[in-house]
Amino acid sequence: MTAWENMLLAAVLLTGFAAVGSSRLATGIRALGAQGVLVGVLPLVHSVAGWNPRMVGFGAVVATTKGVLFPWLLSRAIRASQTRRETEPVVGYGASLALAAVLLPAAFWLADRAPLAVSQAGALMAPTAFTLMGMGLFLMVARRTAVSQVLGYLMLENGIHTFGLTVFTHLPLLVELGVLMDAFVAVFAMGIAIDHINREFDHMDTTRLTSLKG
Amino acid sequence: MASAWILPALLLGPLLMAACCLIPRSADAVIRFCAVGTLVLAIPGAAAVRHAAALGPLFAAERWLMVDALSAYHLIILLVVFGFSALFAPFYFAGEIRSGRFGVRTAARYGALWFGTIGAMLLVVLSNNLALMWVGVEATTLLTAFLIRLQVGPAALEAMWKYLVMCSVGVALAFMGTLLAAASAGGTGESALLGTDLMRRAEQLNPRMIKAAFLFLVVGYGTKAGLAPMHNWLPDAHSQAPAPVSAVFSGFLLNTALYALLRYLPIVEAATGQAGWARGILVAFGLLSLVVAAGFLAAQREVKRLLAYSSIEHVGLMALGAGLGGVGAVAALFHALNHSLCKSVAFCCAGQLGRIRGTLDLRRLAGSVRVAPVWGTGLFVALLALIGAAPFAIFMSKFLIVKAAADAGRYGVMALALAGLAAVFISVLRHAVALAWAPADAVVAPQKTSIRAAALVALPLAAVLALGLWIPRPFAALLLRAARIIGGFG
Amino acid sequence: MPSLGTGLNVLIGLAAAPLLPGIIARVKAMVAGRRGPPPLQGYYDLIRLLHKDHLRSRTATWVFGGAPAVGLAAVVCGLLLMPVGRQPAFFSFEGDWMVLLGCLALARWCAILAALDTGSGFAAMGASRDACFSALAEPALFILLAGLARQTGELSLSGMVAGLAPSAGLTDAPGLALLAAALGLALLAENARIPVDDPNTHLELTMIHEALVLEQAGPDLALMLYGAALKLWLFGLLLMNLLVAFADSFAVWCGMILMAAGIGVVESAMARLRLLKVPPLLVGAAALAALGFALIWRTTP
Repeated sequence: MTAWENMLLAAVLLTGFAAVGSSRLATGIRALGAQGVLVGVLPLVHSVAGWNPRMVGFGAVVATTKGVLFPWLLSRAIRASQTRRETEPVVGYGASLALAAVLLPAAFWLADRAPLAVSQAGALMAPTAFTLMGMGLFLMVARRTAVSQVLGYLMLENGIHTFGLTVFTHLPLLVELGVLMDAFVAVFAMGIAIDHINREFDHMDTTRLTSLKG
Repeated sequence: MASAWILPALLLGPLLMAACCLIPRSADAVIRFCAVGTLVLAIPGAAAVRHAAALGPLFAAERWLMVDALSAYHLIILLVVFGFSALFAPFYFAGEIRSGRFGVRTAARYGALWFGTIGAMLLVVLSNNLALMWVGVEATTLLTAFLIRLQVGPAALEAMWKYLVMCSVGVALAFMGTLLAAASAGGTGESALLGTDLMRRAEQLNPRMIKAAFLFLVVGYGTKAGLAPMHNWLPDAHSQAPAPVSAVFSGFLLNTALYALLRYLPIVEAATGQAGWARGILVAFGLLSLVVAAGFLAAQREVKRLLAYSSIEHVGLMALGAGLGGVGAVAALFHALNHSLCKSVAFCCAGQLGRIRGTLDLRRLAGSVRVAPVWGTGLFVALLALIGAAPFAIFMSKFLIVKAAADAGRYGVMALALAGLAAVFISVLRHAVALAWAPADAVVAPQKTSIRAAALVALPLAAVLALGLWIPRPFAALLLRAARIIGGFG
Repeated sequence: MPSLGTGLNVLIGLAAAPLLPGIIARVKAMVAGRRGPPPLQGYYDLIRLLHKDHLRSRTATWVFGGAPAVGLAAVVCGLLLMPVGRQPAFFSFEGDWMVLLGCLALARWCAILAALDTGSGFAAMGASRDACFSALAEPALFILLAGLARQTGELSLSGMVAGLAPSAGLTDAPGLALLAAALGLALLAENARIPVDDPNTHLELTMIHEALVLEQAGPDLALMLYGAALKLWLFGLLLMNLLVAFADSFAVWCGMILMAAGIGVVESAMARLRLLKVPPLLVGAAALAALGFALIWRTTP
């Protein structure tokens, strides 16, 4: 199954690149939605022992949450604020993409150093996870709009989820559900916050939220 | 088994009560229900503590849940802080309810979030499954984020956003740490996530992996605990939340995250051959927090931010004590209780003063003892206790932490800690005296003194005073057993 | 090694290259609902231009006169190194893929030099843009060829393509697909097609490649145009080799025609990107290539 796994992981990385390299928020949201679906079905491809109903069901739940629900919540937020694109990012798109491309070998290097031979994960799983985490954190620092930061958070979350697969073939169901629910509530809360920020400030540029200091 | 009901009751009770709050009656009723419900939770809580103190660890749900001395001790702090804040809430919200700004729906939301937060924190304290503990920590972040936003306004919104983003990212990194810790055990099935199992075979863990895990955990949970330099969200969130919520934030939210970190400390130490690697990291972060907080405290102009930076200072002290180990670990735990007691009182009094005088600016709050004898005196005494004035228990715990540094022969750490504490003492005392007695620039009619309010404020402060003079034997025994878990002597 | 078949492939390339722009133009016209020029229009243009006089700026030096010929020669050298499906290249040696990139760079360098030699503002502007974009597209090409070398363990283009044919299994598919995508983007950029450059534009300010050749006329321009067509042919061959490495030369010729039609459809469906948007696109192509390279690095033992 490694071939399919690698193919999925490559697609996951591509969605990451798309989110990092595009100024249109809608593109980023779509890319993260696709990434969520891919990450959601990853355990099915990854599994060596074959499928069981629990895995399929949970994969479907993750895919719908991350692929349908989150994009819907976030697009609602950008519709309300009429913010179409990220103007004046802290780091430009070309430079961002180049950085993301540099992240990849760094992630390979890191994954080689970490003795992660604990599950049947293919050689790409851990580097992909690290790259996603790096790109997610990068998005959060290098972009100004609140939506971009939520996207960064989602990418970080996806990276950690992917990393989890290198450690466990599957986490206990209760934990998995808890993690998913937390991610959901986090995005929900951030979505609400963005809504309110729009209404109160008429923008969602988080670098301009500076009234509290000291 | 007679004790089987305890843990389910503790976890399901808050959920049930949260659901009850959603049935709208009147705002008053919800606030009162919060107080009663929180106190009712003390019954299973006390049973759990008794069991842990008398009979040893109590397990449930295939050892996913556990109460040992450390959790029991934190359970006590949790119940005390929440109980006090819930009892104080009627005073705080009375004015808002009368003016109609705190309607039935807001109250229902407040109540549900209140019990939800209690439930999440209980989950953290009671879970032996480290991933489940993480779920609890993240849940506290999200639920309390909505509590900050209870009062509308751009500043509260900004605080909520910063809190959400910083803590979500931090806690996400902590999940990475949790996974790495499980990976260090070879990831053999679900038992790799059980704290007790990890502890049992700590010597077999992969040292490099567990070190990486601990770094992620310190940064992740440390963000939530308010350790510098990840503390930026803390003053904003604390100052913008309603007073009872601030009290809970400072009184137990920070402790929750620190507790999660402390759970890993003995595992990491055992896995790295008791070389003091993990402890060194805690000492470094603790000292940094202390120094940073001392710097910011000197320049504070707003009373709730002052208290927030003081929380950073105290969390730093706890991390420092736990990192030093030995008597420091005992002192750190003791300090946690003392700090939570005083800080809850301080936040509640500060909030109430802010209500009465219409400002949180320290200079314009001058002469508060005359204007509002109960809240003014309460805040002043709480501040005195917090900076470590002598007969209060905080003096004892601070003294013991410094002594632990001296015992360990780490005089540099001791000197830095003492310098930080002295700086905090001076700058906060300056503010506190002015706040209490300086002539007020506007004449405000003195408030009536309510016996109930006075008793509410006096009780925790008296407890801190009493603990400074005499520690009851059963409590001391529990404290020592809890400290032994994180590497204290005894 | 030089053989009759491989030589024939080169000759076919030299003869058929002007067909590709003709097909693209025809497809674009058809998509737009017009009849469009005949597919052989490219040849007519070349013949017409060759009949004209040499017309060179008074300020131009011998560089301007020599550049088109040298550039064309460089591209032809590249063509000699390019295998066609199962059939190896006319010349083949270890490291010839770097020579291929060098030939392409030399051709571009000549064109830029010629543009600068005239002292014309527009030509210089086109030269600077062309230099900028090709500097960004080159890493993508380099990385993707290096990825092929890694995949097959071969250091010559013919060896790579031959090694690619049997190994095209599922395991390698994601990496190769990424390389092909990067190559597709590089192809559009290097050959001045939409969305990087619009070959039909008449506004000098938005021109890139057209501005570069603004000063050339007559036979000089014919050489430049023919060179450009050959370059497109060269890239098309590379893409075909990557996609259908197992095919014989006839299938490759058919693939080339399909590719030209595909470019026509892309050009009809898309608008030219703003100049500022092009560098991120090319960096993206390099990122794709890097990603494919990383995948291949990992999955090949």
